[in-house]
Order: sequence, then C-alpha cells, then structure tokens
Amino acid sequence: MQVKVKINGKEYQDDVEPRMLLVHFIREKARLTGTHIGCDTGNCGACTVLFNGRTIKSCLMLAVQANGAEIMTIEGLSTNGLHPIQDAFLEKFGFQCGYCTSGMILSAYVLLQSNPQPTDHEIREALEGNLCMCTGYQQIVESISYAATKMKEAGK
Amino acid sequence: MMDFDKLFVTRDWFGKPVRRNEDVKFVKGEATYVDDIDMNCAHVAFLRSIFAHARLKKIDTSRAEALKGVLAVITGPEVAEVTKPLPARAITRPARQYVMATGKVRYQGEPIAAVVAEDRYIAEDALELIDVEYEPLQPVMRIEDALKPDAPLLFEEAGSNTLLDDTMEHGDYEKACREADMVLKETFRVHRYSSTPLENWAIIARHDKGTDSFTVWANDQQPGRSMTTVCGTLQIPTHNLRLIVPESGGGFGIKLAIWPYIVILCLLSRKVDKPIKWIQTRREHLLGGTHAPDGIVEIEMPVKKDGTFLGLSVKDYQNDGSFIHTAGIYGLIKFATMVGQYTIKATRMEVLSIATNKGPTVQNRGVGKPTMTFALERMVDIAAKKLGIDPAEIRFRNFVKPEQMPYTTPSGEIYESGDYPECLRKGLALGEYDQCKKQQAELRKQGRYIGVGISTGVEPGTSNLGYYYTSSGVPEYMGSGEGAIVGVDYDGNINVMIGSVDTGQGHATVIGQVISDMLGITPDRVRVDNTLDSFISPYIGHSGCYSNKFNDVDLGAVIKATEKVRARIFTLAAHMLKADVSNLKLGDGHVHVTNDSGKKVSFKDIAALAYKKITLLPEGMEPGLKEIAYYRNPYAKLPNKQNFNVQLTHSNSCHVVTVEVDIETGFVKFLKYVIIHDCGNQINPAIVEGMAIGSTVHGLGATFLEEFVYDDNGQLLTTTFMDYLKPVAATVPHFEMGHHYSPCPTSLLGSKSAGEGGAIGSLAAVANAVEDALSPFDVKVTSLPLTPEKVVKAIKETKVI
Repeated sequence: MQVKVKINGKEYQDDVEPRMLLVHFIREKARLTGTHIGCDTGNCGACTVLFNGRTIKSCLMLAVQANGAEIMTIEGLSTNGLHPIQDAFLEKFGFQCGYCTSGMILSAYVLLQSNPQPTDHEIREALEGNLCMCTGYQQIVESISYAATKMKEAGK
Repeated sequence: MMDFDKLFVTRDWFGKPVRRNEDVKFVKGEATYVDDIDMNCAHVAFLRSIFAHARLKKIDTSRAEALKGVLAVITGPEVAEVTKPLPARAITRPARQYVMATGKVRYQGEPIAAVVAEDRYIAEDALELIDVEYEPLQPVMRIEDALKPDAPLLFEEAGSNTLLDDTMEHGDYEKACREADMVLKETFRVHRYSSTPLENWAIIARHDKGTDSFTVWANDQQPGRSMTTVCGTLQIPTHNLRLIVPESGGGFGIKLAIWPYIVILCLLSRKVDKPIKWIQTRREHLLGGTHAPDGIVEIEMPVKKDGTFLGLSVKDYQNDGSFIHTAGIYGLIKFATMVGQYTIKATRMEVLSIATNKGPTVQNRGVGKPTMTFALERMVDIAAKKLGIDPAEIRFRNFVKPEQMPYTTPSGEIYESGDYPECLRKGLALGEYDQCKKQQAELRKQGRYIGVGISTGVEPGTSNLGYYYTSSGVPEYMGSGEGAIVGVDYDGNINVMIGSVDTGQGHATVIGQVISDMLGITPDRVRVDNTLDSFISPYIGHSGCYSNKFNDVDLGAVIKATEKVRARIFTLAAHMLKADVSNLKLGDGHVHVTNDSGKKVSFKDIAALAYKKITLLPEGMEPGLKEIAYYRNPYAKLPNKQNFNVQLTHSNSCHVVTVEVDIETGFVKFLKYVIIHDCGNQINPAIVEGMAIGSTVHGLGATFLEEFVYDDNGQLLTTTFMDYLKPVAATVPHFEMGHHYSPCPTSLLGSKSAGEGGAIGSLAAVANAVEDALSPFDVKVTSLPLTPEKVVKAIKETKVI
C-alpha cells in the first residue's frame, strides 16, 4: 500500500506491506534511527514520536495508519544546535546509555508545551509511558525541571 | 594509589561533574546502536521451543525453505555437528549443551532453528512453516523438585540436577557455635528477576568467502572473552573473527551471554551472500536472554548475647536454569563477601548450582550480592530483635572498624579501605532515624504503619577472574586487566581507544577528564572512541564492561598509555626547544621551558615533527606519537581455595529507608530514602550519583515488581513489560545521597566500584523497613518480591512474607 507521511517537515512516500509498523517505516524507510525499539508492546516508550503534535508509541501503529500525518522524531526537535531540553539532559546527566533518551525528550517536550512549569510530581507522572533502565529517573526529572526554568528565562 | 602531584599537571577536571559533551549524539538521536547500522542486511528470526522440557524427535524445515524470500535455515542438530559444546565455567559435573537445542530442549524459548530471510516479517512467517515433533518430558522448575531422588534429569550425563556442590570453610565454625549464646537460623528465598537493558541483544554478522572469516557487530558486554568462546565454539582461529562493539543500550551483565547467538549468526552468514542481522525481541529477551537465578539461602548465625556475630554458615541453592556456561557463578560470588561489613571470624558456605527447566542465567547487576546482602542484613535485623538491641547499634558493634583497614576476611578477601561506622552515622543523621522511630510510635496510635530499615553492604569490583576454579581446577583466565591506546594526532589533539566497551557509564567523559589533567589540556581536545574493534583495539581476555573494573584497570591502562605519550612529548619537546627534559612543564596544550618564560612548543608542532618532518627527529627515535599500554591490578591473588580475593576493590554503602505500609492494600509507600555511598575518590560525581541511584532502582524493581513467573508446565507467564513490571518515574522515590570518601590504596586513582551498590543494598533495606512497619502484626519478611497481595496475606493470615 502507498503511504505518504511528513516526518520532520520532509515528505516520505513508499509502497509498504499493510502490516509494516510505523516504527519500522521511520527507522528503515526514512532511515531516522533516533527512534528506538525496546519492548514491542507499547510499554517502554523508546519509540515515542509526535504524531500530529501528540506523543504516540510508533510500535503500536501501522505505517498505513500514518498516511497523511505529520510526524516529528527526535531528529526534528532542533535542526540548529541543541534544543534547551537536549541541553538540559546533558547539563543534568539525564541519560546514561541513551537508548530511552529520544522518547524521554519528546515526552518532556510535549509536557512543557502544555505545562511550562511542572512540579517534579507532574514530570514523573508525564513520564509514565517511558521506561529508563539506567538512571532511576532522578536525573531525568532534574533535567526536565532545569529545561523548564531555562525555557522560561529565554521566553521560549 | 598514585601521587597526584606527579600524576596530574592540573586539577581542573578530575573529581568534577564534567558534562558528557562527548555524548551529544544520545540527546540528538544520532548514536549508532547495532540496529542502526545500515548494511542492507537480511534478517534472522529464531524458532523457539514451546515446551520447557522435551525430546526433539524431528525438525522439518522444507516448507520454510520453500517460502519466497527465505535465504537459509539452520537447525540445532546442524549447529551441533560443526560446533563444540558450551564450555562450563564453574560447575563440576559433566553436562553437554550446545548453542542451539539438539536432542532435547531444556527451557521454553530455547532456540531450535533459525531462519534468514529478506526481511524480518518474512523470517517470522517462515518460522510458522517449520514442523517440529516434540516428545514432552516432565519439566523440573523448582529447586525442591530438582533435588528429589526421582527427579527428571536436565542433563542425563551429569547423573544429578546438582551440577555444583562445593563447600568452603574458613576459620573454626564449630568453635564459634560452641562459644555462642545462641545460633539463629533462617531460610530466605529470592525470586528470579533481571535488569532488562532497554536495548535488547543485537547482532550483525558478515561472512567473507575468500578468507572464510567473519565480521560481527554485537552489543556484547565482554568482547575479550567472547572472542575466544565464539572462536573456540566455531573451531576457527581468532584472527578469523573481527568483533566490533558499537554503542550499547545498557548492559547490567545481561549482555555478557550474547556469544552463543554470535556463533549461530556466523554459521548462518556462511549460507548467504549478504550481511545478516538479528534483533532480539523483548519477548525473546524475557524468555531467555537472560535472568538472575532464583535461590534459597539457608543461614545459621552463632551470636553472643551482647550482639557479637561469631560466625556465619550459608547453604546456598541457586536455580541456575539451563545454561551451563555460567551456572554456579552466583554462589561463588556470594561467598566472596558473605561476611558483609562485619568482623565475622568463622564462615562456612556450601554452594549448590541446580539445573532446572527455567531460562538461562547470567551475571545480572550485583551477581549474587543482592541476595547475599538481603539474607545477611535480614539476619542482622532478626538477631537485633531477638537480642533486644537496636538494629543500628548491633551493626556498630560488629562493623569492621576503619583502623582495621585493610581488613582481610576469613577467606582472603581484602577490604582495602572504608569507614563503615561513619557511613552509618551519616545515614542515620540524613535519614532522621531517631525522629522516624519516634514518629512511628505516634502514627501507630492513629492506625498508620511506618517502618525504618537499614542495610549496609559491600560493593566489590574488579573481579579477580579464576574464582570459580577455586572449585573446579585450573583457571583459563586470572586477575583483571585492560588495555588502552593513547595518541596525539596531527592537530595536537588526543585520540584514545580502550579494550573495554561502554554500556552507558560515560567512559569517554571520564577518560577525557583524567587525560586532560595529566596533559594540561581541556577535555574537548580528547576524543575517545568507545567502539571496540578486535582488529584494532587493545583488548585482552578480560576486556569488557563488567564487575566495576573501569575505574580501576581500564583507567589504569589509560594512565599508563598517557604516561608513555607524555614522556615522548617531553623528549620531542626537549629536542625542539633545545632544553633539558627536567626543565620542561606542560600547560595549555604546550610544553614550556620552566626557567625561560615564553619559550614553548605546542602539541601541534610536536605532532608535526613526529608525523611529518620525521627527518628532523632525534637520532634513533621512531616516528609517530601514539602509545599502547596494558594494566593489571597487581593485588590479585593466585587461585587458592583457602586464601583468595575474588574482587580487588571494595566500595560500601548504607541505605536508610522509611516506608509506610497500607495494611488494607498492602501497598508500600516511600517516605524517605537515603543512600550513603563510599566509592573512594569519585572522578565524575554526577556520573557516580546516576549509577548509585539507577542501581538502587534496579533493586526496588526486584523488591516490589519484577518477577519471572513460571507455571507448573514451565511456561513463562511474564513475557512482556505488561506482566514483568518495571519501575516508572512516578513510583520511585526521590533519593537523598550522602557521600563518604575513603580512597582506595590499590587503584591508581583511589577510586572503587560505583555501578552496583544500590542493586546490592536496596533489597534488604526495604525488606527491613517493611518488617519494621509491620512489627505490630508480627510479620516476618523472608522472601521477595513484596507484592501487595503477599503483604496483605501476611498481615491477615500467614505472618510470613
């Protein structure tokens, strides 16, 4: 089946099997490998992308269901340097192995759009769908909190 | 430990929370994990046993081979014909097993056949077309069942399901019992769990027909050993395998057992004309890739009325499932630090490795120490209660004191440094122990149940390999070491390769910090390539990321190589500046003449001499400016059952935890979680903190949520993250960290292990807190996990968890 999807502002069109998962389309057809696969069942959040502005688990959607959609992956977050959230994850050590990081940052991005000054509790709640096996989450929470402060200061 | 005044030119980076700027790729989604490598691969899928225990009567792959898009199929019997059986490291009974099932299957999920096809979807389709005739056998799942005289045998040739039964005795345990006022006895059970790195196992294999050699990309955690195990199993010379380890999405020990799949991929790659890729699914990972074993720990502790621990006897039953390569290791590692932080003089340990039809086990974060610490620290609390002594006080009375350091345990383990009483004092203060205890009494009147738990634990690192041979003969590997290459490049910047790999610890940043202070430059001038390439990297048999060895031998190799480079820099600079080496000093990427201000030469100019203007080199000096060095920890003892140090550094931590138990729901809420950690000198405190907290959360997952649950037929019921639950951000507490710094005299930087401590101490601390909270109900905690269901049942009926 023909699928046409806009990912990070660029259009991708391909003939795919109806059973192809969106995450495989993103990784293998669009070759955007910052979106990862960790569990295959929608639990871990490593495959989190923005689908028409909302976060989804791209392992739970078929590529054909994304026909006509606008998707943003981690590669689309900042084309010029680091987004403040990315910078915050470096500044506050919000990652270790980096495998969950793309999903974590995109979940944080969506959170900070709707709630620019979240409490630690709200940050933790917002990360319900993202597993990190390395950090124990504390430095991730600190990173997002730091990013919120920096973004407020910068008026972003 | 080295003299820092001689080692370092500056102190701008060592010991500081330097940002991981080398790892910007991770926040941008630009890191290259194995699955991200684009090589137009064919894809592999595995047919796995649906039974836990069965004879394989027939495998017919003809329908699968006929499917369009299928390139090749391989079966267990075919693999067995061309490979050697798995080498067993610790067990002493004969047991024959291959990397793929042949003759019989021993766990649900054991690979029987593999298909390589144009894409993964077709490969999975083809699995459906493989016809397997099984003759189901009675599965053996529990330790008790495996030990029955008429139990079905996993390995008939072993004549028993007990593949290792070894006893180690040090000091006079019988005398300790005679002198004791009482001998406390208890049995503890710890379930199966795993640290489940977020990236599953991943391998790409490419066969070169001309040389019949292989290039493999794999997220292998211990490539040094894999080189010999893979090649030994394939019966090929090691130079016919090029093993490359790129980025790895977490390890925690679980990626130490990838090598059997590398063997299978290599064999499959011979059959096709393109590279082949296997990406493990999470279900495959949970089925058999791999687990920490479940176990039973029977403890006896002779004690005096004043609380003195006179001895410790442990009978340790380890359910090692069905992977003979690493079976038996856990018990032997538990044995090494079985006395914990206490001056227990007499020990006895019987280690049993039991084969069952559960999945394979391999070294998971902490390797046995979490279970041993759980059992010991529970026992300490039980003793305290029995003797009417406060749990903190009884620990103070038995601690190894700082003035006793270095302290040698009865079996020969050497605790190099540490101040256990001070760490507990700090823990009690930060954890507000006394206030919490007061609050506990008041809240109980209101029907609220809070409890405070303490756990102290030793966190050993730098494995002195060969420990398992203290039970079974002559070691193939001994000691611990690593290699490094450090060079100055054309621009005067520094390039580094090490034999180790990184599974998320920020090795590049830490290496950059050490080298920057050694050469007087900034970390942005140091580039570390974490990729291991067995054709280029300076690896040895011990190379890899495990047993907390990075801070010790990996950095040891980096330091030694940098010292060599530094000496060459000085020699070349002396030649260029026409000065004596003794009058030179480093600073700002230059070599300066000390008594002639302004006279200097840059690394870039030195590099130009070394690499380009080589005619101008001093007589007899070779061109180039790159050095290789290997380093081993010199304190490793030779294998000897009576006197051996299983690990070469020993950090320690203390956890003080306050919880509240909802007696209606059995749900446990954290009110306070304090970690005091002493890993000697911290090179990058922010990285250390992340690992201390991260490893603690591994322990909390094991304590409350994570369990591999099998039914009586040997079917694993927890094969997704919907059933095998992991901690999420909202369910873990905010941790308060405190530090103590007892520099390690035996590592070059005074550093010690930092990656496992939380996974070791947390189980016991939480269990002690929950038991304390439930003391009005006389509930005793002897097992994990502490699920709400078990908690409620214990309060209402059983009184035992």
